Amino acid sequence: MLDPSYLNRIRRRERIAQRVIGLGGAFVVICVLGILFQISWVALPLFLEPDAEIRARVPTSGEVDRVVAFGVGEYIETAYVLTRDGALRYVLLEDGKTIAEERLASPGADDASIVGVVRHGAGRYSLTWSDGSVSRERFAFESTFDDEGVRTIVPATSRELGLAPDEGDAESGAIVESTLLPADESGFTRIDRLAEGGLRLHVRAVSTSIFGDSEATDHRFDLSADLEDDRIEALDLATDGRELVAITDSGDLLRWEWDFSDSDDIREPVLVDRVRAAEPGARLTAVSYVFGDESLVVGDDQGRLSRWLPARSETSGNRRELTRIQTLDPQDGSVVQLSPTQRDKSIVSLGAGGTAILDHTTAERRLLEFDADSRLVHASINARSDALAALDERGTILVWELDVPHPEVSMKTLFGEVWYEGYDEPQFRWESSAATQDSEPKISLVPLLFGTLKGTLYAMLFAVPVAVLGALYTSQFLSPRMRGIVKPLIEIMAAIPSVVIGFLAAHWFAPILQQSMTGLFLSFALFPVIVLGVVAVWDRYGAAGRVLGKRREGFEFLLLAPVIGLAMWLCVKVGDFAEPIIFGSDLQTFLFEGLGVVYDPRNSIVIAFALGFAVVPIIFTIAEDSLSNVPRSLSAGSLALGASRWQTAWRVILPAGAPGIFAATMIGLGRAIGETMIVLMATGNTAIMDWSPFNGMRTISANIATEAPEAPHLGSLYRVLFLSAVILFVMTFILNTIAEIVRHRIRRKYARF
Amino acid sequence: MVDATTCGTTDARTILHVRGLAVSAGPRALLRDIDLAIPERRVFGIIGPSGAGKSTLLRCLNRLVDLDESLHVSGDVELDGRSIFAPDVDVDTLRARVGILFQQPAIFPVSIEKNVLFGARHLRRLDRRAAADLAERALRDAALWDEVKDRLDAPAVKLSVGQQQRLCLARALALDPEVLLMDEPTSALDVQSTDAIERLIVRLAPRCTIVLVTHDIDQARRVTDRLACLGLRDGVGRLVQCGPCCELLDGRTNAEVAERLGGGSCCD
Ligand SMILES: Nc1ncnc2c1ncn2[C@@H]1O[C@H](COP(=O)(O)OP(=O)(O)OP(=O)(O)O)[C@@H](O)[C@H]1O
Ligand SMILES: [Mg+2]
Repeated sequence: MLDPSYLNRIRRRERIAQRVIGLGGAFVVICVLGILFQISWVALPLFLEPDAEIRARVPTSGEVDRVVAFGVGEYIETAYVLTRDGALRYVLLEDGKTIAEERLASPGADDASIVGVVRHGAGRYSLTWSDGSVSRERFAFESTFDDEGVRTIVPATSRELGLAPDEGDAESGAIVESTLLPADESGFTRIDRLAEGGLRLHVRAVSTSIFGDSEATDHRFDLSADLEDDRIEALDLATDGRELVAITDSGDLLRWEWDFSDSDDIREPVLVDRVRAAEPGARLTAVSYVFGDESLVVGDDQGRLSRWLPARSETSGNRRELTRIQTLDPQDGSVVQLSPTQRDKSIVSLGAGGTAILDHTTAERRLLEFDADSRLVHASINARSDALAALDERGTILVWELDVPHPEVSMKTLFGEVWYEGYDEPQFRWESSAATQDSEPKISLVPLLFGTLKGTLYAMLFAVPVAVLGALYTSQFLSPRMRGIVKPLIEIMAAIPSVVIGFLAAHWFAPILQQSMTGLFLSFALFPVIVLGVVAVWDRYGAAGRVLGKRREGFEFLLLAPVIGLAMWLCVKVGDFAEPIIFGSDLQTFLFEGLGVVYDPRNSIVIAFALGFAVVPIIFTIAEDSLSNVPRSLSAGSLALGASRWQTAWRVILPAGAPGIFAATMIGLGRAIGETMIVLMATGNTAIMDWSPFNGMRTISANIATEAPEAPHLGSLYRVLFLSAVILFVMTFILNTIAEIVRHRIRRKYARF
Repeated sequence: MVDATTCGTTDARTILHVRGLAVSAGPRALLRDIDLAIPERRVFGIIGPSGAGKSTLLRCLNRLVDLDESLHVSGDVELDGRSIFAPDVDVDTLRARVGILFQQPAIFPVSIEKNVLFGARHLRRLDRRAAADLAERALRDAALWDEVKDRLDAPAVKLSVGQQQRLCLARALALDPEVLLMDEPTSALDVQSTDAIERLIVRLAPRCTIVLVTHDIDQARRVTDRLACLGLRDGVGRLVQCGPCCELLDGRTNAEVAERLGGGSCCD
């Protein structure tokens, strides 16, 4: 007999339960997705396209040919234009009004005009005058505030150095172009390109004695002989004034080095490199150092851009030779101008086609292309790299404001092998904080991924067999009473804070391991032999039965425990004894000298044990549950067919519990991948890619923990760290999904109602 | 089906000898004073009311009671004149010699073929052909071959309960046991399968001893040679009567048997 009101009540309850469960599930899913969305949102701007916006078009009165230099100030409010006759005009970008006008004069004759210009970046220029004199100028802007706090921008022109013509240079046109670099006191380095194709170096080194008198020494060298009848097409002097690169009309790239800074150890200029840099059929047109002066970019008449770096190769031995390390996307037409930014490894190139392009060299990323309706003939980026000024063929100055937040980040730098300055080959490297100011951060996530996988793998290699076999023994062979003690004990292990494990691993276990490494390796071989031997002997004489009495099943481990302890002690002792005999000295020295393997005391073996120790309880508990829950009828059925207990455990219980064991392994894996503290404390955290168990690693999570506090908010590093978090998240997500799918498959295969 | 001339003849050798067997679970006695002589190559039936301890008795015969820590066994069981509880007895070999078929089928979560060969694999090396032959023979013996011959690799758990029971039978037969203990093998089967199993029992009897626990008096009448009847006295299972099947049941109606066996609820 059905009671309708009772049925209704049951239905109502069911509906409510369903809703509550559904809501809870939805809440969890939303939370997880929300977190994923949040961290992805922070990482996403890394991949946004940079942006440039035209801020001003300023017409200049003079013809294009007369403009020799121009640029924008730091705040993109003002610009300067220098014409061939030395007229310097400062204009306001807003309305194109002139705010100041000056006339630069040659350090020599008054009526000289400018014949050559070398741009040094940040508003600095070397000017070569028609009378043979050379000057170095700086065009800048200063902000001043009046009493009411109103800001006015005041142009500041300064001549950093001016040199009157040397003898013989006076006649017009002897010097095509000079590069002038002021040094301490009134010293300088000067490179002259001569009209007949010669090349001259003049270094004035000024030393001050303890009495305060300064003494200037001039070093003059003619480098023309090194050219071997080639003509220089372009050159660039390094900002430290000790290195010069040049390209010639025959397609060679030349590099000289010298050093006069120490008067006791003078190194005269030597041609250290002469390499063929031009592709067949092409002519080199432009060369420029990239910021930092280590690598350089060369452009040719077909628009090709290549990057060169002094590096060692197999054939060069210990000497660094200029090597082509990159080929960038081509320019539009012949490369007429290259100017590096003063902030990173980006470079602005101008093609004969009239397009200016901003490339990040290392990232191989084309950041921006500046297309005006007219052809651009000059381009210049400002000191802060946030504005680009270009002069078009009609004499208009165009100013773009740039928004390039993360130029160094690209798929290549994040996941590819990159040939960084200072290295001899492309590598996966993570060095987020650059060692020196000029070198760049290295942000490859590959070593971190590698470290994560390595740490996890080593840990699982130790944890899975221990936990699963332990679970099998506990569930199938241990007496129920003992099981009731062992299981909760191991579960308590899971409650040990990972900081404690990490601390013990780093300060207690690592030193012990370092001492007894040989013992550990010996134990792989000795341990099973000793234990199995003892068991075999016991079995033979039935000793176990006599000691433990009739009810011996489930307590065998009581007999085995002292044997295991003894075996371990023995292995360590034998190891200590055998080490000098086998390896001559100790294992560490042997590894290093014999095999070239560096032994890091905080290595992967420590991680395997420490991280393994952290995941064993999880795997053990879940695996034990699933093994205990295998129906007793199955084991009874197997035993009834004459299978031994071991065969039953191995061939019936283990396969039947496999889905649970698999799940346990996956959950343990998830824990190991995400584990931070242990890895952070128990390894050296060096981001190396090396499977050697004697080395440490740097994992994604430990990396986030170390670097996040120091990463500038919303900076590249900050966002890259978030990106690595996304990857970690996705990795765990994929792992769990695979685990779920596999578990489901196994379940479905063997389930029936 | 039993030939009238063989009825009651006990000239066969005794293979299993149960002497004063008693089983207790802690303070509670489950079986007491069981004495049985089970003749070789005959079908020995055990009947009795539910809860009388038939399954427990059966488990004693191949020491499966060992699995249950709470059960304590006293008395003795001799197989071929040697006690099976002696300390030097290899339990695994014993169980291979004395096979059992549980009341509820216990199927391993592997394929049908692997289930059949499970036990045999532990005893001897089987090459591919021999394994296939053995599996086929065992499955044919268990009257299951025709139903599964084209899906030997399918998971065995997908079989119906009746098929699973026959699969367990095939599994036990693949071992070629000397004694086969069957705990109500036909309780889950339809008439045809029951018939097939019964015919199989009769066919097997000349080569292996069968101990058959059943609820079905008619089945006992049809296939057993000797019959033991367990009954409950004060909640403890005891041997009520033992003798040739035809003597015990001769000419009586089921109701009379029930009454005479004193089990009350027996053989309903
Ligand atoms: N491990 C055990 N612990 C306690 N009591 C048990 C145990 N195993 C069996 N028993 C008890 O022993 C008695 C006999 O059980 P058994 O399964 O042998 O009965 P049975 O004769 O096979 O009954 P059925 O015909 O219903 O299968 C039952 O009362 C049962 O509760
Ligand atoms: Mg029963």
